[in-house]
Amino acid sequence: MTEEVKNDGQRSSAFVVSPQKRKMQKLAKNAGETLLLGIASFVAIVVLFIFYFVAVDAIPYFQLRGFTEFFTSTGWYPAGEPGEFGALAIIYGSAMVTFGSALLAVPMGIAAAVCLSDILPFSVRQYAKPIIEMLAAIPSVAFGFFALVILAPLLQSNGGPLLMWTWWVLAAPFLLLAVIVAADLLSARFAREENRRKMALLLQSLFGILAVLVLYVVGTKLNAIEIITGTNALNVSIILSFMALPTIVSVAEDALQSVGRELREGSYALGATRAETLLKTVLPAASSGILAAVILGIMRALGETMVVWMASGNSSHIPDPWFNYLEAVRTLTATIAGDMGEADQVTGSARYHVLFAMGLLLLVISFFSNLVSERIVVRQRKILSGQ
Amino acid sequence: MNLGTRKILDNSFTAVGMGSIVVMALALLVVLTPIVYNGVGAVFFTGTIEHRTMLYKEYGRGDSKTIEAQSATADRYRGEAYRMLSGFEAEMEGMTPEASREYRSKYAPVRAAMSSLLGPLPGDPQPMLTRFQYGQTRWEKAEEKLHDILYEKKWDYSDPTVMAKEFYVPRAEAFAGTKLAPLFGYVDKHLADMMQPQFTFYWGFFTDRSLDAHIFGGIWPEIQGTFFLAIGAMLFAFPLGVIAAVYFTEYAKEGFFTSILRSANSTLAGVPSIVFGLFGLAFFINTMKVSESKSVLAGSLTLAIMILPTIIRAAEEAILSVPKTYKEASLGLGSTKWNTIATVILPAALPGIITGGIISLGRAAGETAPIIFTAAVSVGSAIGIADVFSSPTPALSWNIYNLASEHEMASEIRHVQYGMVLSLVSIVLLLNLSAILLRAKISQKLKG
Repeated sequence: MTEEVKNDGQRSSAFVVSPQKRKMQKLAKNAGETLLLGIASFVAIVVLFIFYFVAVDAIPYFQLRGFTEFFTSTGWYPAGEPGEFGALAIIYGSAMVTFGSALLAVPMGIAAAVCLSDILPFSVRQYAKPIIEMLAAIPSVAFGFFALVILAPLLQSNGGPLLMWTWWVLAAPFLLLAVIVAADLLSARFAREENRRKMALLLQSLFGILAVLVLYVVGTKLNAIEIITGTNALNVSIILSFMALPTIVSVAEDALQSVGRELREGSYALGATRAETLLKTVLPAASSGILAAVILGIMRALGETMVVWMASGNSSHIPDPWFNYLEAVRTLTATIAGDMGEADQVTGSARYHVLFAMGLLLLVISFFSNLVSERIVVRQRKILSGQ
Repeated sequence: MNLGTRKILDNSFTAVGMGSIVVMALALLVVLTPIVYNGVGAVFFTGTIEHRTMLYKEYGRGDSKTIEAQSATADRYRGEAYRMLSGFEAEMEGMTPEASREYRSKYAPVRAAMSSLLGPLPGDPQPMLTRFQYGQTRWEKAEEKLHDILYEKKWDYSDPTVMAKEFYVPRAEAFAGTKLAPLFGYVDKHLADMMQPQFTFYWGFFTDRSLDAHIFGGIWPEIQGTFFLAIGAMLFAFPLGVIAAVYFTEYAKEGFFTSILRSANSTLAGVPSIVFGLFGLAFFINTMKVSESKSVLAGSLTLAIMILPTIIRAAEEAILSVPKTYKEASLGLGSTKWNTIATVILPAALPGIITGGIISLGRAAGETAPIIFTAAVSVGSAIGIADVFSSPTPALSWNIYNLASEHEMASEIRHVQYGMVLSLVSIVLLLNLSAILLRAKISQKLKG
């Protein structure tokens, strides 16, 4: 072999590498890999920098004013002399709209994810996925514009009837289902075999009348509500829920798909219906992944700026009563965005640093929830792969 | 539970799932329909002679002869109205002081509304602001002004338990018997003659500079600013992201350090966008001093950091989806690792990487919060390519906020706002659509 190569000197130089050249190659390889590593660690450096630079501007605030006022007072008068920097109402506002949007987005998101992963045939799924992607792609400022210019006036002028119709459309089917199930369960428990049908019918009509009454009474109550301002926590919660939905759906769908076929087939083999299989087997198996989806969705809502800035009303107070979603609120993100222009940017003023304190708060919350959701996903993957 | 109930529950479970997908589709429709409908109205609308005059005077566009002819016709009809106004003003001079004072206070809003409809009235000094130099440029606005002229808005406070209701009283009654009385009927009848409405295709909306804070003109500075910012962000983030993805997929050894890098990536993806803005302000502007104050450069850098995790993830996925056999074949032929990556893996993964890049480009174009403190100004002209290092720029996303929430005449220029929202949404959605199509093509190709 070596003889042959030596005979043909022209070709041999391509295959035989001199020690010197090999050294050079190794050097180049190492240098290249170090460069790659450096660029890949860039992300970690950026994360460190973000923490450092936000914290450096946040700490002077706490040095100047301490912790108690920021977390316990509701007086937010940053322009006053001396200023008041109680962020409790603002933190509460953030929590309120985030909770409201989660209340809408989580059930819908999980239902949609289940539907996408287990129910819809592939041909329909192909069209459903781009819808969700488009919903995720619409810029937040466009959602904010919609909330401010279209939804807010609508809520203000027709809030009551709108609430009533939503209640009817949403609650009627669920109440109907509850009536059927309750009648079935009760008659199975208390009636003898031959009377069950009659008993069930009787109970159904009884509960049915009750349900219609509930629907009607609550509906008229809602209809009578007059919404003073359309830019309120409800408006923002609705819009935020649609912004959080795509995140929840896609992450939850991944979690559901990672649950193996065997579990599903086992459940079907035991005679469970599809809903029972999904509810009692697949969802519990995927529960940690779904939790991660919910956390990520909630973070999306908490970190959103433009919608809440434009459409939450920006009034810094805790609503009265505390669960009143029809009042204007103010959130952390909107306060940072709105007050930075007015805060004089010379470092040293509490007014400037308090906004960084809020940013730091958001950053810490998002960091920990990310960490938790990541841990959850990793653990689930391990469990499902049987390690 | 009996079988029938279980079947009903099963079906309703399916219905709930499909219902939520339908709700999402409806939400998309409900949000997009008014934006598209009204946004198109910014470009296609019924324009008045004022619009054509404005375009001719400010942008030198249009056929001067036609405009002059139409102007002359409009002025003939307007002259009659102007005569009625001046006639009534003369009439007021001769009244008793009390009557004169009373009429004057009622007459002022009529005169203001007429001036807003037709532009400066004869005898008025030439206004300083462009917005007062022309009348209503859009026919539907002209009709609104007509309503202001004809009716006076009043509030009904009679029932203290409910919110006050508005109602309208015809102004003609208040001026019955004076020389102004016929004006209302005249304006109502000859509005079209005075305004010369005509279907207008105002393509300049996308390419014109704005006049007097967007009251007239187009949105070119915003569109250009958005492109500068998004493309600037891509210039930084795309190479970095692709190289980092190559490292993660081909070189990184699973271990503590790599797992830290990975969780740094997902942490960065989860940072709220407004915090990126704060960071950009504190780091790029206050510490690094990449520019005196806000600049396109600082904004692009901030956006680049924001979209970096998305690019890395998409590139990683694309690289991982390249069949292993490609790599093995290349290595088997004696090529080095780096050579394999550069000549086999990256070209095969390129469509997927580009898909991720396109989606990130859309995200960078649509984001507002990171550029508030780093790059965006509310009013400004288009900047040259040389100014990107030093000067801030208007951008679609920021100006939508600004025009809708902070502009002093926000409700008068809804059409401009809708036009901007439509431009931004279509830029972003078209980018996403092309990414979706590209991806569909890739998956077809991979299937063979």
